[in-house]
This record gives sequence, structure tokens and C-alpha cells, in this order.
Amino acid sequence: MHELAWGLPVISYFFLAGMGAGAVVVSGSVLLRKGGFGASRFAIARCGALIGPFPVMLGTFLIVFELGQPFRALNLFHLINLSPMSIGSWFLNIFITLSVLYAMTFLPPSAGPGDKLAPFRRALAWICVPLGIGVAVYTGIMLGAMPARPLWNSPILSALFTLSALSSGVAVIILAGVFIRRKSNDIAIRGDYEKSSYLLISSDALLLAGELMVVFLFILFGHLTIGDVRYAMSAILPGGNLAVMFWGLVVLVGLTIPFVVEIYQIFPKLIHGRKFKSHAAIEVIVPLAILIGGFALRYTIVAAGQITAPATL
Amino acid sequence: MSMKNKITAARRGFMKKLVGGAAAVTVASAGAVLAGAKATPESNKQRQKHYGMLIDTRKCIGCHTCSVSCKSEFDVPLGVTRSWVEYTEKGTYPNVSRNFLPRLCNHCRHPQCVDVCPTGATYKRPQDGIVVVDSGQCIGCKYCIQACPYDARFLNPVTGFAEKCDFCIHRVSKGLDPACVNSCIGGARIFGDLSDPESEISRQLATNPTTVLRPGKGTEPQVYYIGADHSDEHENERGWYDVRITTHRKEKGRR
Repeated sequence: MHELAWGLPVISYFFLAGMGAGAVVVSGSVLLRKGGFGASRFAIARCGALIGPFPVMLGTFLIVFELGQPFRALNLFHLINLSPMSIGSWFLNIFITLSVLYAMTFLPPSAGPGDKLAPFRRALAWICVPLGIGVAVYTGIMLGAMPARPLWNSPILSALFTLSALSSGVAVIILAGVFIRRKSNDIAIRGDYEKSSYLLISSDALLLAGELMVVFLFILFGHLTIGDVRYAMSAILPGGNLAVMFWGLVVLVGLTIPFVVEIYQIFPKLIHGRKFKSHAAIEVIVPLAILIGGFALRYTIVAAGQITAPATL
Repeated sequence: MSMKNKITAARRGFMKKLVGGAAAVTVASAGAVLAGAKATPESNKQRQKHYGMLIDTRKCIGCHTCSVSCKSEFDVPLGVTRSWVEYTEKGTYPNVSRNFLPRLCNHCRHPQCVDVCPTGATYKRPQDGIVVVDSGQCIGCKYCIQACPYDARFLNPVTGFAEKCDFCIHRVSKGLDPACVNSCIGGARIFGDLSDPESEISRQLATNPTTVLRPGKGTEPQVYYIGADHSDEHENERGWYDVRITTHRKEKGRR
């Protein structure tokens, strides 16, 4: 087993930044979109906006201290070049600043859909959504930029990380909703809980379906090719060092089971138009499984990429 | 005949320079042309160099003198190496072989480490093609370590900066050979300017079959090998013959 140059701090950062950015992106999108979520729009946007910046900041804290010389990180901002890490760190820097401002617009007790901060909040949402997507995308691009790491050197990796980030963002909003909104008597917080729960779960099912598709393509094309990529892929294919974690935690616990449960839950309303009923237990367990899967995805991909190398010297 | 051709070519080059010089410098053209004419051999010396190395593994005896001289030249900390020698052992008795593969930074024409460096701390020097790390800019993010297909880079455990072979820039700039070349007891290493067709390395490259490591990665290494054994432990999967690689590094396996 090789020593991992990018170990747990970096892996945790990929997961935390993806989750936080995903939550802010979902929050901003829900806030900006008229209709759909109706009375719950503001409550959901508030959940995502207030949670999102924290994991991103925690993750950034981890990678900055992982350098061993935290103040060295300032060198990143002397210039901007075409390195994905350079562009990514600028994105991250601006995203953290603006997402904190965006979160603060939800803090005043008077905060509501039509208050005097609304235009400011909407403007910040317009900026935070693309920035958040940038933060989620760049991690995959950063790994994918290197022919020396055949497992990562795939354009679909950034799609995988982005979908996983958005799905983790929705999961964290659903999870927070169970504890904050479900039992609340305040209509501004509770909103139309059943309806918003249905919409969140069905969007999450869609994201998980996309992620399953991307994982399928990622593995399939790794398997269909020969040479470096095929050899590197063997680390996560059955028999590989990380196969149990990848297929067990990522594919089964993190993707397939949540997807099946969510489809089972939304199916009656989606197909037969019956009434949707939310279950607190499912809304706790499914998001937790998605978050575990999201972390395991970053872990397996980042570790497998580092223990494999081009097949020939 | 060839001598005459050479002279004609030289004259033509001289005339071109003369015309070019006159066209470029509009003010005080006569003086500039005269200076240009005088400077012809001088400018030859100062033209862009592209340093490279050729390692004749047939002359390598695997003694690690290069590794040790590199260690002492740079006071490289324990557990990391700028230059190292791998052993490749193949076959089953009595059909066996053992080959040595000295390794170092390849100073690629298209260095991936330079492409990914977020602070511009690592760059390829335009004047001589040496890939260097500016520790004043390096943040220790290890992106270049990931990007190098040759595992030539490491994080210096003392300073926390990325480090690698720099062709002994301090020696080379004074006209000396790099420490590993200087100390090689078999004369297996030839260091020189690849862009000078008359240099020893260029003549050897032109007259020998040579290989580079991992050519498929598109990096175009500037460290060439004669008689290198590219066998790798992956070949054991076939079960035809045994391959055993000893890297002599902290990492037992090749990356």
C-alpha cells in the first residue's frame, strides 16, 4: 500500500466542500425559482443557506492546515493561472465570502419572502449558485487533470463529484428539515412540509439516478478500455483493494438503497396521484446513507487514484 | 564537399543575420551590423540551451554512487530521494537477468507538474529547459507530486516544500557537470545541451537506439536511456517469468 500524499484531510475537504456548496446551490435555486415549493420556498432556502457555509469552511480549514504552514496558502492569491487548483481556490475564496453574506440575509428575525433584504438576497443567490457549482465541479477537474493518475483522468469524474455534491446538499437539507421544520408550529419555518418533502425527495431521486448512471459509465468505460485506465480501475473493481468499500458503501448504501427507498416513497403520488406521506425515520436514515456514500465515494476515488499508476514504465 | 557546404551555410547564416540585424535596428544601423558581425560566435554560445541526460544502463553497475552524491550535494533528508537507482530482476534460474535503472527528474518538455502548480512555484526555465521549484512560492499542496508520472517529486520533510532533481543548477551554471554525472564510476551518465548538435549527448543520441520512460504520457522526457529494461511487476500477472523491482526508496513499489 502506498502512502497517500492526499490523505483524510483532503478527502474530507472534497466531501465537506461538495456538501456545503451543494446545500447553498440548492438553497439559491429554490429561492430563485417561483412556484413549485410554494409556501416552503423560503424555509428550504433558509435551511440550505444557513447550513452550507459551515462544512465548506471546515473543509477549507482542514486543507489549509494540512499544508503544515497555513499562512503559505496566501501564496495562492498572488496570481491566478490555469491550474485547476488555482482557479478552484479563487472560486472557493469568493464562494465562502458570498455564501456567508447570503446566509446572513436569512438571520434577521424579520427575514421573510418580501422583506427589505429580499433584493440583496436574490442577487447573492444569483451569484452563489454558479460559484457553488464551480466549487463542486473543480474538485473533479483537479483530480482529472493528470495523465499520471489514470483512474482520475476522466472527464466524467467531475460530473460524478458534482452530482454527488448536489445530492449531499439536498440530503443535508432534508435531514435538517426533519429536526427543524417538521414539528415546528411556526408556519414561516414549517411551510408546506409534506409538499416540500415530496419535491426534495423526488429531486434527490433524480440526482441519485444521474449519479448511478455516471458511476455506471465511469466503471464501464474503465472496464472496456485496456492499458492504464483498465489497470487503475482494477483497484475498485471486484477483487481490488477498495472494491468492498466502493461497491458496498458507495454503490449500495450511498446510491442504490436511497434511490430505491425514495422511489418507493414518491411512487404513489408520482404515478397514481395519491397523497404523499412523509416518514421521519426515512427522512433521517436515507440522507445519512447518502452522506456516508458521498464520503465513501471521495475516499475510494481519491485513494484508488493514488495507489494505482500507469501500467507500463 | 561537406566542409564547403558547411562554410556556405555558415556564410548564408551570417548574411541572414546581417540582413536581419539591419532590418531590425533602424537607428545607427552600421554600428549595429558591425556589432552583430562580431557577436556571431558570442550569440552562438548564448543561444537557448536545452539540457538533458543520457544514461547508458549497460555501463551502470548499480553502486548508488549517484544517489549518495546527490544526497550529500543537497543534504536531502532521510527517507526521500532526488536521484535513485532501481534494480530489475527477471526470470527463473538459470535464465535470469538483473538490470539497473538510475532514476531522476526527467525535465520533460511538457512537464505536468508545471501545468498543475497553482502558485507558479514550479516552472521550466526558458534559458536551459531545467524544471525548477521556487520554494518561496511553493505552498506544499502536493499537486505536483500527484501529477508527476515518474514519482520524481517529494515533499521535503524538513522544509515542507516540494522538491526534486534540478540537474544541479548551481554546478551547471558554473560549467560543471551535475554531481551524479561527475561521480558516476562507470561513466554511464552523459549530461549536455540537447539543442547543440555537436554536444556529446546529441551525438550519442543520434547514433544509439534510446528510450524514455512512460512515453505514452506525452511528457517528452529529456532523460534518455540506452539499454534500459522497462519491465515492471505488472508483467507477473501473465505468469511467464518473474519480475522483481527493488526501488531502494521508502516506497517499496513503483508508482
